Amino acid sequence: MSQGIFADFDMFAFSRQAFLFRRQPFEIKWPEGAFVRCGLPFVRNVAGFLKPTTVFIQRFGKEARRNVLELDLDIIASLCIEGEISLPTLSESVDIQGYVIVKFKEHYLGTALALEGNRLLCRFPKAMRQALSRLTLR
Amino acid sequence: MSSYLDTLEEYRDLIPEFHEFLEHLRKPLPVYFRINSLKTDLMKAKAFLKDEGVDFAETPIDEVVKVLHHDHQRPLLSYLLGYIYPQAISSCLPVIALDPRPEETVLDLCAAPGGKATYISQRMQDRGFLVANDRKRGRITPLLSNVKRLGITNTLVTQGRGEHLLLPYSFHKVLVDAPCSGQGKYRIDPHTGLVKYMVKGKTNLSAIQKALIKHAFDMLMPGGVLVYSTCTLNVEENEEVVEFLLKKRRASLAPLDLPVEYEPGITHFRGKRYHGQIRLAGRFYPHKIDSVGFFVAKIVKG
Repeated sequence: MSQGIFADFDMFAFSRQAFLFRRQPFEIKWPEGAFVRCGLPFVRNVAGFLKPTTVFIQRFGKEARRNVLELDLDIIASLCIEGEISLPTLSESVDIQGYVIVKFKEHYLGTALALEGNRLLCRFPKAMRQALSRLTLR
Repeated sequence: MSSYLDTLEEYRDLIPEFHEFLEHLRKPLPVYFRINSLKTDLMKAKAFLKDEGVDFAETPIDEVVKVLHHDHQRPLLSYLLGYIYPQAISSCLPVIALDPRPEETVLDLCAAPGGKATYISQRMQDRGFLVANDRKRGRITPLLSNVKRLGITNTLVTQGRGEHLLLPYSFHKVLVDAPCSGQGKYRIDPHTGLVKYMVKGKTNLSAIQKALIKHAFDMLMPGGVLVYSTCTLNVEENEEVVEFLLKKRRASLAPLDLPVEYEPGITHFRGKRYHGQIRLAGRFYPHKIDSVGFFVAKIVKG
């Protein structure tokens, strides 16, 4: 993604997550005692690696210029049911050994983890895995 | 006669076509979806809903559709992708009345579970600054979840009692969608004849609502706009609360410009007279809008 996309945002880290928050023309003072959270979870620290969140990918995935994997519905269903699939063309499509964006048509679904040996591991939230494994379209 | 009919009976002279109103309560509440234009555009979202097997009809609000049929057993991908928010059409009206703009600072004082707060952000094009507050910890979780699911970046979520909340900001616009007795949601079970969605309790709602509206008004900038709304028909929780504010503060009502049919606010009830400006408020009756009954008042500071 181009860095310019984030020019209007500030990034805050709380615990093991970073949040993307719309930049304000005034200095944000955190309300004492009442503050819960601000902005959209953006990346999460997973075992020392930064994993983009599903909600971030769904909103900003269209800005990605590489590591976007467009899959057919039946392959997505297999990925959701099996948790891991082998894609013979994976290494030609994306950088191996990292998180990649999965999309179906114009819908950005979330992330998967690409590993050597053309292995693709599902990293969708559970509810989405269940929905995608049973999805039929008219 | 059961207590809810006693309650509704006192509105016989206020609600137009009262018999139709009672008959309407025997029908199930229709489902509406609001399309979240922050994640998709209206045409694409509507096409995808059709692909997912949802039959719907258009409504007077472009981004809201009325669901005619869909398989409730199956979770919709449109929902999980944050393309839609199930929301009564009448629940969108306070936000349209508030008319939040990009670059404004806006407060939703009683925000959970987030239907109106996320709609405010949508109408602000996810720009500007929105504070979404709620009192109860248990209600913050769904609020956070919805803000996240709809992909919103301009919102600060806070937890505190709305009537005492101290924030280091002042606001162009504030929404008070106050906790209420929920009479607008009443439905009569056609099999048992009993009322559904009836709220029971001894809380003095009117006192809470008056404290909320006063404190919310004080957080507005001069010239700022406050929208007060409830999903009840109860005059004590609606007109009387607005009347209270008009007496306590330099406030005036502004006309509503909304795309659905409504009745004016009430100025006489049970021997009480309310300020003439209260006619500018709107009463939205279930049988007129085929949704939850609502009350909306738009108030300007100064």
